[in-house]
Amino acid sequence: MRILIADDDPLSLRLLERTLERAGYEVTAVKNGRHAAEEMCQPEGPRLALLDWVMPELDGPAVCREIRKQRSERHVHIILITSKDSKQDIVCGLESGADDYLVKPFDPEELKARLRSGIRILELEDNLVEAREQMHYKATHDSLTSLLNRGIIVELLARELTRARREKGSTVVILGDVDHFKSVNDTYGHQVGDEVLQEVSRRLLGSVRSYDFVGRYGGEEFLVVLNNCSAANAMGRAEQIRNAVFKAPIMTAKGPLPITLSLGVFASLGEEAKAVDEMLGEADRALYEAKGAGRNCCRLAGASLLSQRI
Amino acid sequence: MATNSFSSLAEFLNLPELLERVENDEDLLRELLALFQEDLPASRNALQTAIAGGDLTEIERAAHRMKGMLANLSAKQAASLAAEIESAARAGDSLKIPELISLFDPQIATLSAALGSFLASD
Repeated sequence: MRILIADDDPLSLRLLERTLERAGYEVTAVKNGRHAAEEMCQPEGPRLALLDWVMPELDGPAVCREIRKQRSERHVHIILITSKDSKQDIVCGLESGADDYLVKPFDPEELKARLRSGIRILELEDNLVEAREQMHYKATHDSLTSLLNRGIIVELLARELTRARREKGSTVVILGDVDHFKSVNDTYGHQVGDEVLQEVSRRLLGSVRSYDFVGRYGGEEFLVVLNNCSAANAMGRAEQIRNAVFKAPIMTAKGPLPITLSLGVFASLGEEAKAVDEMLGEADRALYEAKGAGRNCCRLAGASLLSQRI
Repeated sequence: MATNSFSSLAEFLNLPELLERVENDEDLLRELLALFQEDLPASRNALQTAIAGGDLTEIERAAHRMKGMLANLSAKQAASLAAEIESAARAGDSLKIPELISLFDPQIATLSAALGSFLASD
């Protein structure tokens, strides 16, 4: 564990440094409050600090306030070391943002015990942050395919449309559906069906750019959002995606299976962008057309409309 | 006895307490004593200058710093005199300060001399 110690008294600084090194800490020692604040306010700075109260430039409480201001998003455990022990001083130190204080000259065992109690708080926070990140991942991803789930990809699409409208860009949405998926499940069982969905997901991810979105929209239905993709390129990109699935059979526990996708494509132009629901409705109608046209093909929404206008 | 090598300092420093503080690391203790000895002329000078200039804030600061070092070395008597100087300066009691200094300074001088011969012979 990294720890910062700050004291203008060289004797006290060395004593602390050695005591903490012996206890297994990785110590950064500085001689004034200004340096302490600089070290602590770096993004990856130490999360434990022992600060002497009286120091030139910035005193301990001032360093506390600085750290609390700059690194508010995560906990930093700060212990003030003081030879002041009046109640008023202690209140002032704690009010400035310190978590704890030690009266010097300190007892090495007490020092170490107080640091361990600080570390318990840091570990608790680490666990909570990790749990929150895991929950966030679970709340936004499909558990079978690890693709974005329907809720989040629709939200991301809405955000992308707002941006595209502002920047007069264009956004393409593609709804893809695995052809004859029901018969895969019925013939080979759901486990093989799951394998197919997982491999289709991998191939979809492999056929888009890192800033596009791929999500599982429904059972065997996928939604791809191509950000900043022009209408002219929409069908070419959809064909690439169709081919990525079609080009080779999918290897499953029951042997290789030829799998294809039908795709409905909708291209939105920045200034006349439609609402998310309308776009998805159009893409769904185009997907239906692709199914009707014999599957394993792409259809562009509004294509007949366009040709009528021309 | 571990304290034997430091016994010439027993008159000034509370050795059992001090060794506990450094967790019986005698090398560290020697290092701390040398740091103190090295810092002492500047600390004494800062205190004397502040007193000569009648600067109570500076007297308080200098005495506070010396108090901290002396307390870390378990130099009890000298540390409590430094603490008295600090609180006299904070209270604005400038009459009391020369009296305290006349007690404090000889103590520091004796301690420094003892440290000097200890560090030289060590």
